[in-house]
Amino acid sequence: MIASHQALAAVAVAVVFAATSSCARLPPSLASQTVPTAPRSANLDQRYVTDVQPLLKTYCHSCHGGSSPAARLDLTAFDTTGRVISAFDVWERLHGRLDRREMPPRSAAQPTDAERRTITDWFAALRAHEAERNAGDPGVVLARRLSNAEYNYTVQDLTGVDIAPTKAFPVDPANEAGFDNSGETLAISPALLTKYIDAARNVANHIVFQPHGFSFAPYEVLTETDRDRFVVNRIMDFYRRQRTDLAGYFFALWRYENRSALDLKGASLASIATAGGVSLPYLQRLQQLLHDRKGAFGPIAGMQRRWDELPAASTRPSEATVRAATEALRDYVIGYRKKLAWTFDVPRARPLHIASEITAMHVNRQEVLHRRRLNPHVLLAAETADPTAKGYDADLVVPSEPAARAAAVASLEKFCDVIPDAFLVTERTSPWLAKNQTGRLLSAGFHSAMGYFRDDGPLYELLLDDGGRRELDGLWRELDVISNAPARQLAGFVWFERTDTNFMLSPEFNHLRAEDLDLASDVKFGELRRLYEAKVAASGATAETRRMTQQYFDELGAAIRATAQARAAAEPPHLEHLVAFAERAYRRPIEAAERDAVLAFYRQLRQSGLGHEDAVRDTLASVLVSPHVLYRVDVVRTAAQSRIGDHAVAPLTSDSLANRLSYFLWSSMPDAELMARAAAGDLHRPEILRAQVRRMLRDGRVSRLATEFGANWLGVRRFEEYNSVDRERFPAFTNDLRRAFFEEPVRFLTALIRENRPVTDLLFGDYTYVNRPLASHYGMPQPDGDAERWVRVDKAGGYQRGGLLPMAAFLTQSSPGQRTSPVKRGYWVARNVLGQHIPAPPPDVPAIPSDEADLGSLTLAQTMARHRADPNCASCHATFDFFGLAFEGYGPVGERRERDLGGRTVDPATEFPDGVRRSGVAGILEYVRASRQQDFVDNLSRRLVSYGLGRGVIPSDRRLLDQMQAALRANGYRFSGLVETLVTSPQFLMKRVP
Amino acid sequence: MTTILKAAQSRRTFLRGAGVTMLLPWLESIPAWGGTAAQGRGTLLPKRLAVIFMANGINPNNWWAKGSGESMELGPSLEPLLPFRQRLNFIGGLFNEAATNVGIHPGQTGNLLSGARLTRGPEIRGGISFDQVLANRLGESSVQPSLVLGCEQPTTGYHETNFSMAYGSHISWASATSPVPMEVYPSLAFDSLFENRGAQRTRSILDRVMEQAADLRRQASTSDQKKLDEYLTSVREIERRIDRVRESANQAGEGTRPGQPGFTLQRPDNGLPQDIREHMRLMADILALAFQTNKTSVATLLLCRDISGMFYPFLPVTEAHHLLSHNDTSKEFTLVNQYYTGQLAYLAQRLQSMAEGDGTVLDNSCLLFMSNMWSGSRHDSTRVPVLTLGNLGGTLQSGRVLDYYDRPADTRRLCSLYLSLMDRMGVELPSFGDADERLAGI
Repeated sequence: MIASHQALAAVAVAVVFAATSSCARLPPSLASQTVPTAPRSANLDQRYVTDVQPLLKTYCHSCHGGSSPAARLDLTAFDTTGRVISAFDVWERLHGRLDRREMPPRSAAQPTDAERRTITDWFAALRAHEAERNAGDPGVVLARRLSNAEYNYTVQDLTGVDIAPTKAFPVDPANEAGFDNSGETLAISPALLTKYIDAARNVANHIVFQPHGFSFAPYEVLTETDRDRFVVNRIMDFYRRQRTDLAGYFFALWRYENRSALDLKGASLASIATAGGVSLPYLQRLQQLLHDRKGAFGPIAGMQRRWDELPAASTRPSEATVRAATEALRDYVIGYRKKLAWTFDVPRARPLHIASEITAMHVNRQEVLHRRRLNPHVLLAAETADPTAKGYDADLVVPSEPAARAAAVASLEKFCDVIPDAFLVTERTSPWLAKNQTGRLLSAGFHSAMGYFRDDGPLYELLLDDGGRRELDGLWRELDVISNAPARQLAGFVWFERTDTNFMLSPEFNHLRAEDLDLASDVKFGELRRLYEAKVAASGATAETRRMTQQYFDELGAAIRATAQARAAAEPPHLEHLVAFAERAYRRPIEAAERDAVLAFYRQLRQSGLGHEDAVRDTLASVLVSPHVLYRVDVVRTAAQSRIGDHAVAPLTSDSLANRLSYFLWSSMPDAELMARAAAGDLHRPEILRAQVRRMLRDGRVSRLATEFGANWLGVRRFEEYNSVDRERFPAFTNDLRRAFFEEPVRFLTALIRENRPVTDLLFGDYTYVNRPLASHYGMPQPDGDAERWVRVDKAGGYQRGGLLPMAAFLTQSSPGQRTSPVKRGYWVARNVLGQHIPAPPPDVPAIPSDEADLGSLTLAQTMARHRADPNCASCHATFDFFGLAFEGYGPVGERRERDLGGRTVDPATEFPDGVRRSGVAGILEYVRASRQQDFVDNLSRRLVSYGLGRGVIPSDRRLLDQMQAALRANGYRFSGLVETLVTSPQFLMKRVP
Repeated sequence: MTTILKAAQSRRTFLRGAGVTMLLPWLESIPAWGGTAAQGRGTLLPKRLAVIFMANGINPNNWWAKGSGESMELGPSLEPLLPFRQRLNFIGGLFNEAATNVGIHPGQTGNLLSGARLTRGPEIRGGISFDQVLANRLGESSVQPSLVLGCEQPTTGYHETNFSMAYGSHISWASATSPVPMEVYPSLAFDSLFENRGAQRTRSILDRVMEQAADLRRQASTSDQKKLDEYLTSVREIERRIDRVRESANQAGEGTRPGQPGFTLQRPDNGLPQDIREHMRLMADILALAFQTNKTSVATLLLCRDISGMFYPFLPVTEAHHLLSHNDTSKEFTLVNQYYTGQLAYLAQRLQSMAEGDGTVLDNSCLLFMSNMWSGSRHDSTRVPVLTLGNLGGTLQSGRVLDYYDRPADTRRLCSLYLSLMDRMGVELPSFGDADERLAGI
């Protein structure tokens, strides 16, 4: 202990000496906030020599002096005030022990009370003087690695997916203030660095290589199935966003045509299409179809008639009525259309196998070609059709007279053209499989082998605008590039033609293996095709069979070549993207040499034999474990050096300031706007900083401030892992509820920050936030929607909730299993909420039974009263037990209760230190409002300073704390006052220069 | 100042010591590997396990064994293993419950080594395979945590049971959703043991960040430099650790008796061998080399995948593997089965030729040969063929014929066998897959 004090003292002295050797002018924006260096008070120096030192000599030096001082503390060494200041923390302890009469020891001569006060008052005065003289001192803020939480958020912001790479890391130790974001606690070791490397590689494994760069999937993308999942899901997501239900179109058209009656006079077809989320071009087509009465036949005539019969808006039909009518119209149209559709059977194309990919692809092509075409073979001629025959359908009857027939067919063709038999088909299976084989998304429908097939022509032609078409084309191109589907289809083809069809078992094919990655090369593919087509021709195939075989290879060959070219062309964009990624990850502009180094590393890996993708992955991993990413090292503009009190200081560079700000408010990297401000060089200007702070506090990312600052401050950061509830006794306590307990204070604080509400709402706010499990735990009405939806509940006081104090997380975490603990609850209020310092209990405290049922005839309150009868305990417990006793109306999982688990009626009334008897949370709040609100505000300010600066609060922060509180008072206690004052303080803007 | 520096140095020294002790449990105790093999430290030698997989079942008439040890009789399909009778366990009647009643093929394969239920349709979901559990636990001290090899490329279409064909293509699964990428090219599999992979790639990354840390340190203030020194020290320490592992692994490669040359293998040519015989032989050689040089202690080798398209004109057999398996009592299918047990015999012979300690690498290994079904024509997953070869460092008795077929389901689970084998590899789990009991009598 003492040895380390001496070491620190030595460091402090060294810092003082170094600091005095340089000084410079501050930039104008900071000048108003700095403190001129005042000479040390002559009066205090004098008092040390004349009043204090003689007392030390009399009462202390005999032990703490000489050649082997007691506890290795030599007080004779402190011959000047300067020496005292350089070992301030030694003196803090000395002051405390004197004040508590722990020193001198009982066995030694004791100073009088007045003498004791002479020393302690002098030190207190020195401390206050020093604090003011050094006000604004940035203190010691070490370089540090990112905390686990910060690393996770940073990777999330870099990649766009929540990979949480550090989730299996050891928990970061917290500092004295309870936060895990300061240099003294955030160390690294070989074991931890190994974990970072593994984690970085894991992140790199999420890369999806795209034609123009890369992105990240929420899962690792290493195997073909991973790639397939990614590309298929993206296309399916696009398809699912499209509105292909005709009823929606009919409804939109009805609204348009009834716009006057509906009071939509200014509405255009376009605005109604937008409002209804339907495609405008298709709406126009349907409109034409419904109103072009000339030559209307069959289904067109039928739908026009039904259209005319839709209820007019002037009759004021309900929306449900109109919806139902448009759905009926849709069903009519689709039902009719089905009858006119083409169907294709798999041709028997010898020598091709019945399940051949060539014939399957041929059928697929036919289907695509006929989605908007009439199948004339289903039509019946009026003259010859027999109404009693099987399969007769009046809908299919057309006139026999040639001109009339031609007109009818033209109308049917028009109908089929506008109403396709399907807008898109997303699943295919081989025709001879059971129909329940679902889920083969975008499949070509091959038997066993893989292959994708695009069948969305009508969607593309009829519904999409140019932007949609470009996006969809891009997605399909990317499907091939990312999954390398064409080359894989070829491998599957070869495999199938051996194992199921036997076709490629003749010896000329022996050297062509499905396993060969080179199979898709021009040479081998060309050879395979030549041999295959030759064998087909030699087996007496028809011309059509030969043609479909050629077409299969034509299309596959073209896709293979296009994909190979696109994959090769994608390499330079990937490297550009890699450099851009490194720049974002470094969180500052990348230097030319650094850019070159990133690329040089990639090339080195390629030369060592890695493929492109592995080399990109390893380069990315090297970025993610780079010290530029893993560490925050604040850099200063030393040219702008100046002094604050005893210390030389200099402003942070804009980049360092942007980082400090974003890690404070978002626990993560700066976003593009903040980086742009840093690049513009005006981030130090207070009005710019304030504007950025206000913007950032409105951003959803402040939920991380609520989590990392708020939940750590309130002691529930790890509540999601809290396992000390007996779930047999409290079956309501499920994992979902536990998660909700944790989220309640985080959501409360997040909303408070984003809405810039008064910090006093944390105590007095008559509202809280609940989801469905929490609402039922609290006995509140269930919110609508799914169980994960959170809503704000006002007038929460009616349910004995509102503000932080009665939140279940705190009440539960402070309850040891089968009972409540008023002591722990009181301790939590006093210490975490109000910032009261409470010494540790002595080691010989008798235990209270862990189950209320075992308390015998006494209530917990009565048991505790006995405990407090012991004067040794009473002096501390009297300062916080009452808070806990007032919470007795809440059980061990924070539930409202009238009786405890032993069946006794609970009484949440208790006497407060001001002599007033109060009850429940309302009683606590009344007392806090009257006597302790300043404690709460001071505590919150201190905690925020500590968190925001990444160091403990030091005496010279006093002025800043006062300013923060003044800002609160001046502005209705709104949260932003705290943050804006802090981030514009010299502590935040500057750094000590050693 | 000096106090602080000294403290940092001593912590550094401590960490260095801890790292090496942790990573080299057995090499540490054998300072001069190879030269002191005669001192009888056999129990300290590494144990290795390889799963050799052949899909599509066997000819039930010709897949049998009787008796024990030297006098064991083997059915025709097992004839190539006659020289290894004393090293062989013929295990009958084990099964994977999750592979029953789910339809044939992929649903019988993707969970062979995990015992997990598989999900149909586009979502791939099963369970981690036991070889990867071993790799995760044991892999830290190896150049490669595991070696996952195949002779037939994976595919991903849909089978008629609506299981993805990916299940039929992979037996090693890194997680419920991802198979371990399988190396099919002999040249690349060879490289993975010596170049560019795993530790060597980590080494490159470390070199790279070391440069950056040194640059950053130069720009940082004195107090910040101390924090960065933690980082630099950690980087150096891991580099040293990697170098030690590599050095030791290279020494292990010379782990032969004095005067006896070790097995060496030229790097195979790029590209894929056109002849499957050469392909399989090279993969077996690489696996043997990896074990001998202690580059890894866990391997799987998928000789052919489910619904295999392999064809064997040289046997001579005129149909491809899968179609032929539908005619599983044919003479041709027995020839195919024999060809595969011949591959196992080749690998065993390789390992047996590699001296290690008082014995051979085969003594310290277990080759677990399996298929995904019993009768190929009936796609029967009420039992699967299982053979073991080798003695796993004296922990696995051999020369036995064990039959579990008539026993209750809970006493004949494949996952029970895996638990028993993992125990012997030094990884003891309370349960795995669908089993929480060890296999009795193994």
